[in-house]
Amino acid sequence: MSNTLRLYLTCIRNTLDAAMCLQNFPCQEVERHNKPEVELKTSSELLLNPVLICRNEAEKCLIETSINSLRISLKVKQADELENILTKKFLRFLSMRAEAFQVLRRKPVQGYDISFLVTNYHCEEMQKHKLIDFIAQFMEDIDKEISELKMSVNTRGRLVATEFLKQFIRPTMFNEPLV
Amino acid sequence: MAAVEVHKFAQCITCHAWSRDRSMLAFCPNNNEVHIYALLQGKWEKLHVLQKHDQIVSGIDWSARSNKIVTASHDRNSYVWNLEGSEWVPTLVILRLNRAALCVRWSPRENKFAVGSGAKIVCICYYEQENNWWVSKLIRKRHDSSVTSVAWHPNNILLATASTDGKCRIFSTFIKVVDAKESRTGPSADSKFGEQILQLDLSFTWSFGVRWSPSGNTLAYVGHNSMIYFVDDVGPSPLAQNVAFRDLPLRDVLFLSERLVIGVGFDCNPMVFAADERGIWSFIKFLGERKTTSSGPKYGSQFSEAFGKLYGQPKQGFNNDTNEHSRSRGGVHENCINCIVPLGDPGSSKVKRFSTSGLDGKIVVWDMENQEDLAEYL
Repeated sequence: MSNTLRLYLTCIRNTLDAAMCLQNFPCQEVERHNKPEVELKTSSELLLNPVLICRNEAEKCLIETSINSLRISLKVKQADELENILTKKFLRFLSMRAEAFQVLRRKPVQGYDISFLVTNYHCEEMQKHKLIDFIAQFMEDIDKEISELKMSVNTRGRLVATEFLKQFIRPTMFNEPLV
Repeated sequence: MAAVEVHKFAQCITCHAWSRDRSMLAFCPNNNEVHIYALLQGKWEKLHVLQKHDQIVSGIDWSARSNKIVTASHDRNSYVWNLEGSEWVPTLVILRLNRAALCVRWSPRENKFAVGSGAKIVCICYYEQENNWWVSKLIRKRHDSSVTSVAWHPNNILLATASTDGKCRIFSTFIKVVDAKESRTGPSADSKFGEQILQLDLSFTWSFGVRWSPSGNTLAYVGHNSMIYFVDDVGPSPLAQNVAFRDLPLRDVLFLSERLVIGVGFDCNPMVFAADERGIWSFIKFLGERKTTSSGPKYGSQFSEAFGKLYGQPKQGFNNDTNEHSRSRGGVHENCINCIVPLGDPGSSKVKRFSTSGLDGKIVVWDMENQEDLAEYL
């Protein structure tokens, strides 16, 4: 892991540690409801200031906090078109299986590639530091996974091209003298 | 070690309360029930389950003299439970709330209790002999957000509230029917029911956990910005002190004496605050021992590995044995502590023992007896 990525992740880790102070809080607007306030945004006093952590223009992380929930939105690095497509497809694949991840949101917040929603219920049944570890691990692995995918797409492309172009090679080609 | 007893009763505990002789314990295991445990032959055993609420119980208080339990719940109701024979008999209190009740507290004379709610209202309830029910009077004004905590002044009249609008307010709760005979002194001398005595605007964000000192001279409450506020001379010209600390915010506080305060919260470890001879408050230390997790060597792992682990142990946290770990907080408690209850003799103003409960489902009894460095404050 490069040094800058480490700093970026440490910053996110520390921010999450401070932000993940959630508690059970019933809805003030609707009777007998209990909803994540960060999604509803009906009472402004129950929201804290959002924190935006940027590594560069392409990679950033938005952390929005409320009294009973926390939303983490990530923008993953996309250097070229291929990475763009791979990221989109891969994160869509994960988002569709959001239940398995518990804290994953089904749809990312606009302008971001993937979002997590942590509520007070998650903090009750899971250990906080493990949750933070999971998110940091996720961010680290997503970059690795995308570059691996990109590599395998490129390798495969090269192989296919080589195989395809083989049919144009004349068997005698290498025996003829170069003119 | 200051923790003398550790009991793991449930997955998660929202609040707890003790009977006067500390032989019985009531707590809510993060659902709509209240469990009552008793100490039988050295073992804690479940005696009763109070089932009447239909949403999570957010507040329990056990009156020492009359031996009644009052519970408040997110289902907007409150019940007063009275032990008749071997059964706890509930009496519904018509709170007239249209949002969740968040906290409940008996007044020092136990003729009233206060309920803070998500409806931005505080209910003061008292017993009406003629009708044989608990009547609720509402303090409707002033609060701009949910009332998260209430605390009674020892004079039985003044009530302090903390709210998510960041303010701490003090009201008079003089009710003619119940308070008429009693002497009225101090700043509450000529105030009507529901009159605001004071509004403290010290915190920029949500405030929680308000308490009075045993004499009623000092008031403490906490803000979500990792601050604790101490207010002396509550009245027309209050004296306030803000103490900032570097750790995660607190949820509740408790005065052990006039000069010693314990704060509990998201740091999972009780914090000790004390006032020196000049009355300047400061953070002294953490009460529990801190576990230190060593960060192991780093190496990358495949995404699928994290994926698989997630499926394997979804409930017990994401097991992750690679990479740098976030520090796990706390020592005895492993998750946020949200309730602290004194375990003193009702007669004396000094409290040497207290108990805490938190989201890790533990109830821990702490003893200050052998804390030499804190003895001067007790």
